[in-house]
Amino acid sequence: MLRQLWTALRTGIVTEPPARVSDLERVGERLAAEITRAFGRSLHIRQVDAGSPNCCEIEISGLTGPHYDLERFGLHFVASPRHADCLLVTGPVTRNMAEPLRRTWEATPDPKLVIAVGDCGRDGGLFRGSYAVAGGVADVIPVDAVIPGCPPSPAALLAGLLDAIRRRR
Amino acid sequence: MARLAYGLAALVAVGAAALGLHGMFGGAFTLRVGWLVPLGGLQLTLDPLAGFFLLVIAVGVAPASVYAIGSAGGARRGLGAYLVFVVSMCLVPLAANMMTFAIAWELMSLASYLLVLHERESRESLRAGWVYAVMTHAGLACLLAGMMLLGAWTGSSEFADWRAAAPGLGGGARSVAFVLLALGFAGKAGVIPLHVWLPLAHPAAPSHVSALMSGVMIKLGVYGLLRASFDWLGAGPPWWGVAVLIVGAVSSVIGVLYALVEHDLKKLLAFHSIENIGIILIGIGAGLLYQGAGLEALALLGVVAALYHTLNHAAFKALLFLGAGAVVHATGTRNIEEMGGLIKRMPWTAACFLVGSAAISALPPLNGFVSEWLTFLALLQNTHLARPSLSLAFALGIAGLALTGGLAMACFVKAFGITFLALPRSEAAARAHEAPPSMRIAMVLLAVTCVALGLGPTWVVPALATVAGALLGNTTPVAFGDWLTLRVSDGFATGSALAIAAALGVALVALPLGLRVAGASRRRRAYETWGCGRIGQTARMEYTATAFANPFKRVFDFLYRPTKKLDIDFHPESRFFVERIEYENPTRSIFDDWLYRPVLDGLSGVARAARAIQSGSANLYLAYILAVLLIMLVLA
Repeated sequence: MLRQLWTALRTGIVTEPPARVSDLERVGERLAAEITRAFGRSLHIRQVDAGSPNCCEIEISGLTGPHYDLERFGLHFVASPRHADCLLVTGPVTRNMAEPLRRTWEATPDPKLVIAVGDCGRDGGLFRGSYAVAGGVADVIPVDAVIPGCPPSPAALLAGLLDAIRRRR
Repeated sequence: MARLAYGLAALVAVGAAALGLHGMFGGAFTLRVGWLVPLGGLQLTLDPLAGFFLLVIAVGVAPASVYAIGSAGGARRGLGAYLVFVVSMCLVPLAANMMTFAIAWELMSLASYLLVLHERESRESLRAGWVYAVMTHAGLACLLAGMMLLGAWTGSSEFADWRAAAPGLGGGARSVAFVLLALGFAGKAGVIPLHVWLPLAHPAAPSHVSALMSGVMIKLGVYGLLRASFDWLGAGPPWWGVAVLIVGAVSSVIGVLYALVEHDLKKLLAFHSIENIGIILIGIGAGLLYQGAGLEALALLGVVAALYHTLNHAAFKALLFLGAGAVVHATGTRNIEEMGGLIKRMPWTAACFLVGSAAISALPPLNGFVSEWLTFLALLQNTHLARPSLSLAFALGIAGLALTGGLAMACFVKAFGITFLALPRSEAAARAHEAPPSMRIAMVLLAVTCVALGLGPTWVVPALATVAGALLGNTTPVAFGDWLTLRVSDGFATGSALAIAAALGVALVALPLGLRVAGASRRRRAYETWGCGRIGQTARMEYTATAFANPFKRVFDFLYRPTKKLDIDFHPESRFFVERIEYENPTRSIFDDWLYRPVLDGLSGVARAARAIQSGSANLYLAYILAVLLIMLVLA
């Protein structure tokens, strides 16, 4: 145990400062400003998995981690479409999820923003044409913006959100 | 026939109300009929306290009788018992000697016992009746013992003589009498741990009788306690007050906690009666302590709070029981898990039940708020007491009352929400229909009473202060502010129910108006309830009462001691296919397990032991006779 302690003391701090933090901060600040302009205070997002293979989900959950920490920019993930301003839909829309997705869209109060995430969300991507897939998100509900990528990185997600909100004006 | 009898009962109530009001404002009379009753004759005396309780009885009986015209539907069963019950309840506060009181009290108990056995075909009713009979007679035994002791010590069976002679009695004698009388009255009032009969008996009786038993009859236990402690015995040592205060706090908290996990609508209301009796006892306990310490104005405040809550509870509990009766009548079940959606089918009942729920949750501008506020004010002024050790009891009372208020609110969110909102959870609830007019009239009457008592404390409190003043022997008039504002204890606190009501009303109008002025969108879009996007929503996806109560079950599991039972049948081929799941999570009563069960087991153990000499053989009995004869001869 003493050896462990000694090693720990000798090593000191080895964590590195995150790379390109300034870029992230810049995007974040602009995002916060845009959100304030368009929505008053904050943007509440309901994430809907319409049949995604979960790669987009992993990237999205990265947003809530300490590195990106999207809540500081005024973005919140909520547990019900009733609380949401924005639907973040991932995945090719499977046949079984088409109707629930439609209902989720109906249950979200107006005005709402729908963003399709990933190449699958755009047009079905890898799964396009499958017997189990109804198509991209836009084939089921009206989509305001698409964030492409397979999967899009958290930074790309933030940039895409910024773009979507800006285009709404 | 049935209509006539219930009409008669309502008339008796109107007469009682008139007599009661007459008595509250100084009217007094004594009626003596010497030959009617042995040992002192029938003797009735009207004084302010008796008048007040007559009024409380009338507030319950009049609507309950009107309600019964509709709900009983001409059935004759229990008519006679109902009339005897009503009249004997009216006699109890008027009785002015031991024999009159004991007869009226016992008639009331027996009549209500018969009413509890209304559905005597069911085992549950029989058990409820049996427990009720045992508990009420155990209480009667205590009462009679206490009264006979007082009678023997003072040499009279008249209450007026007890009043005069009590200060001359020794401290120990008075305490013995107090304990016996308080036990007897507390048993009738349903104070914990003497409450076991209450959640059994109240649901078993028909609803208009439950309303009376819960709204009025248990109040006569409160009457007895007030009478015995303040009037017959005068102020006692501080431990009387401490005992009453702590018992009140415990009753209120435990009563409401049991109500929270109860899903039988009428049982839930019965547990709330225990809670509210506890709140009344907190006020009485504070009054006793202040009276003993010579703080007359504060004692008056405590008793006024208790009396106000007594009147309020009579109004809102009768209302809730009548509402529950209408619901049970319509759905044929008492289990709230099988109700739901009734607000659309029974709008009148739902509105009245909502008023009652808000009143019992002590929400302004309804009546429960005023009396609980007054009780708080009485408790919060304990710094005037010279002995700081007594303040500990007050602190317990304050904490208990605060906790009770919050939990009662949670419980009525459950009771109202699960019963009346969302989709019907059963066929019966879907086919429910509104109650007939006479039942609706009764409920509306009580709802109006609740609102009136909530809006008019500036008129009610001075009237109650004269009653309490007469009881405490405190004739100096106490000012309670003007018509708009209630001023308590020379400006210790002021409050205006009317102003609160006006503010709430204005807020109700101002909020939508302000939103419109601020330019909020008025576009509407109706869409089905959010059900996680599922197709085909059913009532089985609704929030249940069990789920609502579960967090409380976890937090307070030392009290509930829930036992979990999970029974799953799997498909014989694979454990991944479940055919049936049965989940049970019942609570166990501490009082049954730790208090009544050992006593009853002990009793039956003694009885079994005694059976050893009861073989049934005539020869053996002859031998006993011989043996006793020999012993007698030797001893002689």
